[in-house]
Amino acid sequence: MKFKADEIASVIQKEIEDFRGQMQTAEVGRVIEVGDGIARCTGLSTAMSGEMLEFSNGTRGLAFNLEENSVGVVILGDYLKIKEGDEVRSTGKLLSVPVGEALLGRMVDPLGNPLDGKGPVMTSESRPLEWLAAGVADRQPVKEPLQTGIKAIDAMTPIGRGQRELIIGDRKTGKTAIAIDTILNQKDTGVICVYVACGQRASSIAGVVEILRQNGAMDYTIVVAATSADPAPVQYIAPYAGAALAEYFMYQGKHTLVVYDDLSKQAVAYRQLSLLMRRPPGREAFPGDVFYCHSRLLERAVKLNKELGGGSMTALPIIETLEGEVSAYIPTNVISITDGQIYLEPDLFWKGIRPAINVGVSVSRVGGNAQTKAMKKVAGSLRLDLAQFRELEAFAQLGTELEKETQAQLDRGYRMVELLKQPQYGPLHVADQVVAIYAGAKGYFDKVPVNKVQQTEKELHEFIRTEHADMRDKLVAQATLTEEIEAELKKALEAFNARQASKS
Amino acid sequence: MSEVRLKTRPDSVLEDPGALAVATLYARSYLAGATQNGIAAPEEELNSLLDDVLAAHPEFSELLMSDSLRRDNKLAIVDRVIAPGSSEYFTNFLRVLIRHNRVELLPMIRQVLVRVQEEAAGKKRVRVKTAKPLSDGSRSKIREQLTSKFGFDPILQESVDESLIGGLVLQVGDTVYDSSLRSRLKQLKGRLVEKALNEIQSGRDRFSHPEGD
Repeated sequence: MKFKADEIASVIQKEIEDFRGQMQTAEVGRVIEVGDGIARCTGLSTAMSGEMLEFSNGTRGLAFNLEENSVGVVILGDYLKIKEGDEVRSTGKLLSVPVGEALLGRMVDPLGNPLDGKGPVMTSESRPLEWLAAGVADRQPVKEPLQTGIKAIDAMTPIGRGQRELIIGDRKTGKTAIAIDTILNQKDTGVICVYVACGQRASSIAGVVEILRQNGAMDYTIVVAATSADPAPVQYIAPYAGAALAEYFMYQGKHTLVVYDDLSKQAVAYRQLSLLMRRPPGREAFPGDVFYCHSRLLERAVKLNKELGGGSMTALPIIETLEGEVSAYIPTNVISITDGQIYLEPDLFWKGIRPAINVGVSVSRVGGNAQTKAMKKVAGSLRLDLAQFRELEAFAQLGTELEKETQAQLDRGYRMVELLKQPQYGPLHVADQVVAIYAGAKGYFDKVPVNKVQQTEKELHEFIRTEHADMRDKLVAQATLTEEIEAELKKALEAFNARQASKS
Repeated sequence: MSEVRLKTRPDSVLEDPGALAVATLYARSYLAGATQNGIAAPEEELNSLLDDVLAAHPEFSELLMSDSLRRDNKLAIVDRVIAPGSSEYFTNFLRVLIRHNRVELLPMIRQVLVRVQEEAAGKKRVRVKTAKPLSDGSRSKIREQLTSKFGFDPILQESVDESLIGGLVLQVGDTVYDSSLRSRLKQLKGRLVEKALNEIQSGRDRFSHPEGD
């Protein structure tokens, strides 16, 4: 695009002619102590809690502690450039972040400054980081599904739009992978995604962005990045910035998905800040209000009522545990705040069951209402069947001879476990999931050797898509397994089985 | 203890806002009490103690301010040394300070006392920052304006900062009134950027050539 210089000049000229500079009044204070990302200031007697302040070199700060004779300020930027005796100015504004369509496809820091080298963010709208969550009357129950594209989740721990589902697990168990797959699966669904990276290595953030870009997911995604090298205050505000970005779209009636990756690092950053501010430490040295820190963030995930446009914000917070310890302070807090959790286990991961979801412990408290009818029908008993299979499996390990019936149940269990495995970056449409789970549960895979199940499943999807596309289209459109569709599906599966038999 | 205490930092640095608040309270009470008792110039005795006695005899000052002596002993010293030569009111003030372990605030109380007295007399300090030194005419004009707007008698503390380019920055207490050219230019810049962004977003066609790149 070429710009017309004279047009721009005329706009600027007009603006200068109309300009009437106003006298600016501001409350000022002086820095008396600075270090470790925080400053103590005198003056600023009218500063509000959470107000944005400006240091004399342009760095921004946040009024964090209001004490009798001084104000504790967290510095959002380079604190090494701030000296004792510097002036601090109140702005009368709350800390806010630029929002708008222009941010889609961009990677920004929590203050909205671009980090991707694609030039300035072209937007004039902004939104406060802290925003009161919608009240009871402003909401409606969670009832629309948010498809993750992962069979094990959509079938057994379904997530609804407006829900908060925690992804919890040890390091290297595929927590981020689930979140990324979910973002990838939102392609062409109109769901706007915000990925908040908090306290992670810059290289892993770059990796995530690259994957999103390669899969065409950056068109509807905003990445908010606070790396582990960023000061603690920046890491602390990152999730709130992400929530504000999503809220902008939500209040326009759109559906949004926010991933907070991860909240345990944010809690650690908040602990650092609080201890430096001399707030008294509590359990595990976290301050007393670390629960509030997470609850007010996650409470902003909501399904709005029709009058407010019916938009939604689904939150997928991630928590990293140490050695599977879910009873530590932060994990228990966040488990109690969210509407369910997806629990990932390293043992399963190393056994090759990926995603390594522990089906027994993972729950979704509200997602059941949000499941499509078709999925509800086929996956209704899946959880129980798998639990029974686990029990039998443990029993079978004793080496006792089994009845024929029991052996059959066991064999089907092995195949179901195999069927729930899914490669990374390969989200499946819910119709395909229904077909696969239906086939597995009704025994159409019983003759397939266990190590061939995944391959056969792939062939089945191919078969359905090419030869029974009209049935699949119906399933996609109606999202219900009517008797008519079920009959067609049975016929298709029998044809597929016959073909498989003839091949071998 | 005869060496002179070196001044290693400017006054503003590492000041303790809590101590300042306490010193202000003491200064105010001292002044209020003095007015009630009809003492004309209460600051004279304080100044004389600090300048003629404590500054001249650092050992004595050290003795009084440090924790090496017990409170009773300090009180006894005040009774024997200071009480005969000074007014009853001032000696009592010192006794109160010693009883509350606040003697080390004496220099700060003196500093604050000046400001408290000014306030009591309806005066207030106003910092004036300009790009060039003020002329007599503009100085009296500023003073006039301030008196009519705020209703106090301003004491101007002038300083020159060339980076302001022009105009004037006033600071009364914690509040800054900034009408310098520098901040106006900054405002203008912000507004131009915002305007340009709006224009570009609202009418991309207006700025671009119809035939494209």
